[in-house]
Amino acid sequence: MALSKIDLANMLTGLVPNDNTIRRPNAKPLIFNGSMDLSQRYGTTATTITEGYSLDRWEFVEDTDGSATVAQTATVPTGKGFAKSLDVQVTGTDSSIAASQDVRIVQKFEGQDLQVLKYGTSDAEKVTLSFHVKSSTTGTYSATLRHTNTSGTAYVNSLTFSISSANTWEQKVLVFNGNTAQDIRNTNTEGLRLEIYLAVGSNFTSGGGANANSWTTGNTNRASASNVNLMTSTDNDFFLTGIQLEVGEYTSSTLPPFQHESFGDNLARCKRYYETQTGFYFYSFQSGTNVVHDVPINCKVEKRATPTGSFSGSVVSYYPNTSGANSETNNVTAIAIGDKNGSTLLSLNTEAQAPTDAGYYPIYADARNAVANWDAEL
Amino acid sequence: MNNIKSVKQLANNGEQGDNMLILIDNQDNKLFVPKDEENRHYQAILQWVADGNTIQEAD
Repeated sequence: MALSKIDLANMLTGLVPNDNTIRRPNAKPLIFNGSMDLSQRYGTTATTITEGYSLDRWEFVEDTDGSATVAQTATVPTGKGFAKSLDVQVTGTDSSIAASQDVRIVQKFEGQDLQVLKYGTSDAEKVTLSFHVKSSTTGTYSATLRHTNTSGTAYVNSLTFSISSANTWEQKVLVFNGNTAQDIRNTNTEGLRLEIYLAVGSNFTSGGGANANSWTTGNTNRASASNVNLMTSTDNDFFLTGIQLEVGEYTSSTLPPFQHESFGDNLARCKRYYETQTGFYFYSFQSGTNVVHDVPINCKVEKRATPTGSFSGSVVSYYPNTSGANSETNNVTAIAIGDKNGSTLLSLNTEAQAPTDAGYYPIYADARNAVANWDAEL
Repeated sequence: MNNIKSVKQLANNGEQGDNMLILIDNQDNKLFVPKDEENRHYQAILQWVADGNTIQEAD
């Protein structure tokens, strides 16, 4: 079929950078769970966090004299295609943030995933950060990139954004210069992190270099000294969704569309860092009585590193018995994890009702109400 | 991670117990942490030990 028309106007939209920026049209987004659709740990339950992960891949740090919860909510900007947002709700106030204190939302990235940024070369890429935000508190906030080089030294570049209307969704677009002098370490450990500050003490702002769009070492330029303090009232909250991190420089009019992943794709990517399973059954063998018996389980996705294991709930074990009960409820007393592939042994407590004769016997275990977690976050 | 309450060596019961630590955090969550320097909880434990704390012997 012959082409009858070439639509040059649409071919030359702002979606095509006018420099030699690397394009990733078919790649997954750099950001994880930017739509906030995934919350394996707490679902939609508002959870008090001082330092830990909330929605998948999103860490929250609240290091003040106050307190705050993080929740997955259905409060979203209209007409943008988002169904969920991350909500920080202040639950205990601190109107005077000490020098060493801060509140921030963080996502960390493996260095090996960001070699595309070509840091440490004259071709270092700019990065465009975009997100939708709604807050009760107007004013200046800080968004910071912090990368770690091959030698393990961290460099920060902090930009500010302003929320001008309280309780109103706004889209922000920030362009970070690349670091031509320092690389990003090419490993499965942290190579870059994104931080959004909701409150920050002077130890992190005293350098006065925030918003210079340049890279410095140390912690004194982590944020702007003008950053708001969200922690002044329990009426204060902060919503965030639709986060993009794009290679190259874009404006609000040239920004590529948000890549809406399927729930399954989003879940599969996030499971490299955290995976929770419930409702499983397993078979095992054991000999003797009143001993710990082990049952093997596996996580579904290979992890970034050998993961930490945790378990909640109990296991009902069934076994042959010629008299009395043939089942009992066991608790998991230990977890051993062999490698990043997540091969895991659950050690269950003693079986008072198990057969008294010697030899091996089979165990069928019902853990449909238990939850196993593997954590390999950065 | 600044909320470590205690850390104990997991008993080696013939499998991989000698490679695991039990971390109890300030919310009394029990985490089984492998001695993998790429694991963030193990990194936190190493820092916690460097700060003068001690890992308890296995039961």
